[in-house]
Amino acid sequence: MTAGSHGGCQHVEAAPRDTYEHLISAHLDGLYGTARRLTRHAASAEDLVQETMLKAWRSFHTFQPGTNVRAWLYRILMNTYFDAQRKHSREPEIVPADDVGDLYLYSRARDGAALGESGNPEFLVLDHILDAEMREGLEALPAPFLAAVLLVDVDGFAYKEAAGVLGIPVGTVMSRLYRGRHALRRRLVEYVRRRRLVRQEAHLWPAPQAQERPEGGA
Amino acid sequence: MNCQDCLDHLWQYIDGELDIASSDELQRHLAQCRECFSQAELERRLKDMMRRACSGEHAPARLRERLAKILQLY
Repeated sequence: MTAGSHGGCQHVEAAPRDTYEHLISAHLDGLYGTARRLTRHAASAEDLVQETMLKAWRSFHTFQPGTNVRAWLYRILMNTYFDAQRKHSREPEIVPADDVGDLYLYSRARDGAALGESGNPEFLVLDHILDAEMREGLEALPAPFLAAVLLVDVDGFAYKEAAGVLGIPVGTVMSRLYRGRHALRRRLVEYVRRRRLVRQEAHLWPAPQAQERPEGGA
Repeated sequence: MNCQDCLDHLWQYIDGELDIASSDELQRHLAQCRECFSQAELERRLKDMMRRACSGEHAPARLRERLAKILQLY
């Protein structure tokens, strides 16, 4: 798999309206999908994409040939989204610390036990995850983590491109991406537990407690 | 490469972010280690599922129309 392979390297020359409309057409679904996950609402996503496209159009005449158009559009989208977040919140933005604690996939000492003798029980969880639950799990992530996960896992940007889109160092992208993935998988396990499917496989998981009633967990 | 080294770099490997030499080395480990191979499959699958779950999104026609109209004004 090649990161950033989704039409990410379209280059344009200084541009008339036609070129711009063509670009909108090419990238609208992708931008809308990302906006939909970020904002969690269809109407907000439309507003965000509209504002993004207008901003992009206003500065389109400054566009340098050879620039990655797709990354540029996503950068405007992310800036617009996080600017609005900051404006609407009187609190300082809560960015979970970008420490390197979860930079690595697994610590044997911490997680090794879950990969037990019967192969890999996490497969059992994935077998039962619905697309809607996956989307819900993503949308529950803190926005900075969600942004990194969406850009790399869904939109297919390379780490370096995602760093450019978000205006943060590559190491920070990795930290947010990995911590987002950790948080997501914890949530997916919870979904399955809640549906009591894990009850049958409880011995495979470091289960919190045996559940006597269907609604008992989480 | 041992298992911990492999797992430490597995996400970078799956994301296509490792250099060729490291990527080859990791691949050799995966070919010999069932447990790490299984973990790699899991990570690939999780990534695929994320993409699939989010890929069906299409911008509503009304948004396309609205954008086209607005752009005519500029």
